[in-house]
Amino acid sequence: MPILRFLGVFMLQVFVFNALEPGFGIHIMIYPLFIALLPFNNNVFSMLTISFFLGFIIDIFSNTFGLHSSAALAMAIARPPIYNNFSPRDGYDNLKLPTILRMGFRWHLVTFGPLLLIHHLWFFALESFRLDELFFTLKKTFLSAFITFIVCMILQYIFFKKEKSR
Amino acid sequence: MRNLIAFLERFKIFIYFIFLQVIALSFYFSYISYPRGQFLTSTWAISGTFLNFQNDFIKFFHLEENNVVLQQENIRLRKNQLSNYVKISSELVQKNDTIYKQHYDFIPGKVINSTITRRNNYFTLNIGSSQGVRVGMGVFSDNGVVGIIYMTSRYFSLVKSVLSENSNLDVEIQPTGIHGYLKWGGTNPQRGSVIGISTDIKLKKNSLVYTRGGSGIFPKGIPIGRVEKLLPIEGKPIWDVVIKFSQDYRSIQNVYVIKNLMQEEQKKLEANIPAENKK
Repeated sequence: MPILRFLGVFMLQVFVFNALEPGFGIHIMIYPLFIALLPFNNNVFSMLTISFFLGFIIDIFSNTFGLHSSAALAMAIARPPIYNNFSPRDGYDNLKLPTILRMGFRWHLVTFGPLLLIHHLWFFALESFRLDELFFTLKKTFLSAFITFIVCMILQYIFFKKEKSR
Repeated sequence: MRNLIAFLERFKIFIYFIFLQVIALSFYFSYISYPRGQFLTSTWAISGTFLNFQNDFIKFFHLEENNVVLQQENIRLRKNQLSNYVKISSELVQKNDTIYKQHYDFIPGKVINSTITRRNNYFTLNIGSSQGVRVGMGVFSDNGVVGIIYMTSRYFSLVKSVLSENSNLDVEIQPTGIHGYLKWGGTNPQRGSVIGISTDIKLKKNSLVYTRGGSGIFPKGIPIGRVEKLLPIEGKPIWDVVIKFSQDYRSIQNVYVIKNLMQEEQKKLEANIPAENKK
């Protein structure tokens, strides 16, 4: 149910993870998970539009004025090349969702990991927008991406059923 | 023409991406430099209502500490009451021969949404223009300065907190009253720095930093923090004074918005400064 996932990600991000501030500049952003979990054969145009819209309403609720939409777009356009690069030999099964349960941890790490890094780097770099804070920006990016990755993994294990083995 | 269509056909995804990206970034940079609209932020009525709803739950976790803070403030105010003072001698009569006029008005409000980890941090208040909040008013809490109103809507307002890149409040440091400007480094929400103080001035650790009240946004004497250490700035004869904020911005709840009743008068007077003296 994409619409339920959309609402769930939005609610969790705005009302839970925006309020959490673990320190060290860490900001947990879980909504990239929604973009990563769109179906494999999703049209790129609709994916860009959905990402923009998702980022936009999160922007409205967290006073970031377009930062989240911009970062979500950057992630959405990077998704098809990265997914194609790591596709299995006989292609993706378009009926399945790209969750960690179906595709395995290894695949999830090499696709979702770089996407998260792109998203976070774009977000934090635009936010500080100066070179003399480069080191701090990178530190924030890597720490946040690491924590976000773990949180997203946990969320997937909670909310998705494990597929029956055939 | 055919080439152009072929080009567009080939790069249509990228062009669409650029198109959306331009929308997002133009929003971002126009809001950062100059607040124009009121929708699309948490001061917007719909998102404000949701955040208010969220705050209704969260505020219970802070009830106890808020009570303590309010109690302390009550004690402080009660100490100033006339009935608290005893006449030392019956011959001395205190005569009130100065007419006082109210200078500042305060509007109480609650922070319903806040961040502290960003480069520029904004707080959302549950009071807005219908309660008399205007852009440019100062905001403080019982413990210290919070920021300046950046944007208002009917029932909500947005504060650009001192945890931002260009807060530049003018501050004074006890006991000499030397003044400088408040900056925030962008990393630690508990520490800021005061710049513009010449290195030939000796400052003591733990001396109080408070607002100067120069621009008429804050009254003089609202605490900001205490001096923690002095760092030299390379190549400049000024200190980078590291201060610890007296307000913990991570758990901020109750704030007051300052309405300066004589702002207009001060502005009118200062407009007479000849242009070549202004920087």
